[in-house]
Amino acid sequence: MTSKEYDVIIVGGGITGAATARDCALRGLSTLLIERGDICDGASGRNHGLLHSGARYAVTDREGAEECIRENRILRRIASNCVEPTEGLFISLPEDGLDYQANFIAKCREAGIDAQAIDPAEALRLEPAINPRIIGAVKVPDASVDPFRLVDAHILDAQRHGADIKKFTAVASLVKEGGRVVGVKTAAGEVIRSREVVLAAGIWTAGLAREAGVNIGMMPSKGALVIFGHRIANMVINRCRKPANADILVPGDVVSVLGTTSDKVPIETCDDMRATPAEVDLLLREGEQLVPSLAHTRIIRAYAGVRPLVVADPAGDGRNVSRGIVLLDHEERDGVPGLITITGGKLTTSRLMAQMATDLVCKKVGSSAVCRTADLPLPGSEGRKPSFEDPFVERAAIGRHGTEVSRMDFGKGGEILCECEHVTRAEIAYAVEHFGVRNISDLRRHTRIGMGTCQGSFCIRSVATALAEILSPDPRSAAKLSDEFVSQYRQERWKGITPVLWGDTLREAEYMQKVNGNEI
Amino acid sequence: MRFDAVIIGGGYAGCTVAGILSDAGLKVCVVSEGLSLAVSGSKTPYAAQAALQKHGVTVLRGDRAMGAKVQDGRVLGVETRNLGFGTILEADFYILATGKFFSRGLLSDKEHIWEPVFGADVEYSSDRTTWYDEDFSAPQPFMDFGVKTDASARVLVDGKALENLYAAGDIVAKGCKEANVTKLIEDYARRDK
Repeated sequence: MTSKEYDVIIVGGGITGAATARDCALRGLSTLLIERGDICDGASGRNHGLLHSGARYAVTDREGAEECIRENRILRRIASNCVEPTEGLFISLPEDGLDYQANFIAKCREAGIDAQAIDPAEALRLEPAINPRIIGAVKVPDASVDPFRLVDAHILDAQRHGADIKKFTAVASLVKEGGRVVGVKTAAGEVIRSREVVLAAGIWTAGLAREAGVNIGMMPSKGALVIFGHRIANMVINRCRKPANADILVPGDVVSVLGTTSDKVPIETCDDMRATPAEVDLLLREGEQLVPSLAHTRIIRAYAGVRPLVVADPAGDGRNVSRGIVLLDHEERDGVPGLITITGGKLTTSRLMAQMATDLVCKKVGSSAVCRTADLPLPGSEGRKPSFEDPFVERAAIGRHGTEVSRMDFGKGGEILCECEHVTRAEIAYAVEHFGVRNISDLRRHTRIGMGTCQGSFCIRSVATALAEILSPDPRSAAKLSDEFVSQYRQERWKGITPVLWGDTLREAEYMQKVNGNEI
Repeated sequence: MRFDAVIIGGGYAGCTVAGILSDAGLKVCVVSEGLSLAVSGSKTPYAAQAALQKHGVTVLRGDRAMGAKVQDGRVLGVETRNLGFGTILEADFYILATGKFFSRGLLSDKEHIWEPVFGADVEYSSDRTTWYDEDFSAPQPFMDFGVKTDASARVLVDGKALENLYAAGDIVAKGCKEANVTKLIEDYARRDK
């Protein structure tokens, strides 16, 4: 079975792949993005949701810091609906001293980051939850970004500019002819041809490249995070010291996320990442230094993702690792034309990564189209947010989807199903139509359904039924599908709940067990 | 305030025991944390309350046992949040029916699980990773945790049963469930009359 030949196939539906697909489509290339699961299934859906100002890297990585602040400004503009301009604080505790702070401010300014030292009393006035022992604070332009929303917006824009998106389609191997990569073969055996293939599959890139005889030394670096059930601070709170474990607290919607850790893990574990009780203990011990009230704040769940770090010397011990952007031209590097890898980098610099990859694709296929991604707003962020007729029903949807809500029919589907996040039937129908949602985990990523404080305890049955009814016209198979969705959802949430199972979380777990009919 | 029996907890266990004891002619008080009794349904809690009150049961809604006075292996009284000012609920015997975690019959932190009113002995392991099964639909070990009792359903504190404190319902550890509190209390009540 053969199909049309694309200019470019992008493998991986995280932020890097989605942004690259958007850029390629905007430059008029015929583009296919192929993803084995749903979008944001890897690191793009398992991170802090932090739009770096670059301050964190100012002292150790000037280039990375400069990239961050440039991209930070661009994303605030083109993805205004995904970014909450919270600003950030870097606080110094007595044990940190103030020497680091002085150097930090100087380095930030050299990198073009507006870093302002403020009085500790003023910092405590702005953020009463931070550790009252602080001796110094610096204000920087950090922000909070919703990674799911950001990837969705890129996917929508790529599609609207002609790109094809194939989700739930695993790439089994790269197809080579005469030493050249000419396309991909899917797990179902379909061969799809293209002039260039771009690997943007995060930590899974190395395995795909190896199939084609290309060796990319990658080091999976696990980062664990904990979500608290409240918005404890309104700004991003960082520790003003050499970057370490658990020193950033990021507000996102109505919750706060504390992270992260950094540990080398075996590549085989990357498909089933979970935070461990030991990691949670470490995060809390450190996080309480930042914000003492974390010790008794309700925890919703814990999760973990994998940073796709590239080892410059694959034979080395992993110390020589870059967290910067890595663009590999495998024609030049390995003598394998038709193949490009884009990896490393950060959520914050994803647009730049996409630009670099697309520049190279254009060079290879002989296109002189210029990059416009820094200027064109993403879907949902085009102009002013729409006003709403019914604030109770529509406000949350506008927050999530911005100008996209014009595509939702609240007249027909205004019923709120998920009360924590105010998700309506209309929004579910929209997600099915525009994002090809197939199950309840997909629905969660595209609507935040069940991500609120009740974690689906109250709503999951009605949400599952609504989704099943849209997906399946036959009532009997819809009922079966709904049952599957409920147990799938419970199991998936449970994975993140077990590492934090004490106190209020244990209370809720007993309730969940009873509601689910396991006991009573 | 003096009663024959004070029941701490207004859920299924507490209400059932209160019904049996008041039927047997005892003067009973139920301390229930919620604004209505903790039985499910929109009307049932009020129907249950009306029925208990008809039998002369005193129902303290929205109140909570904060601590107990214990001497020589006997409970002398229970303090509640709302009564305050040194008023204690005194009774011949007491029933602990406060449920597990959700109803705050048991509290927990990262390493400990405890029963807050009497400091009763709790059946659990201090290793948090043994509290749960990774499979959500499998039986969960934490659902078996609870206070330890002797064969007569009397609550153990520091390994010794308090002679006039019984446990009923969800708060009882799985290993001690065979002790049938309602039967024992019923016998106790009849004997007393």
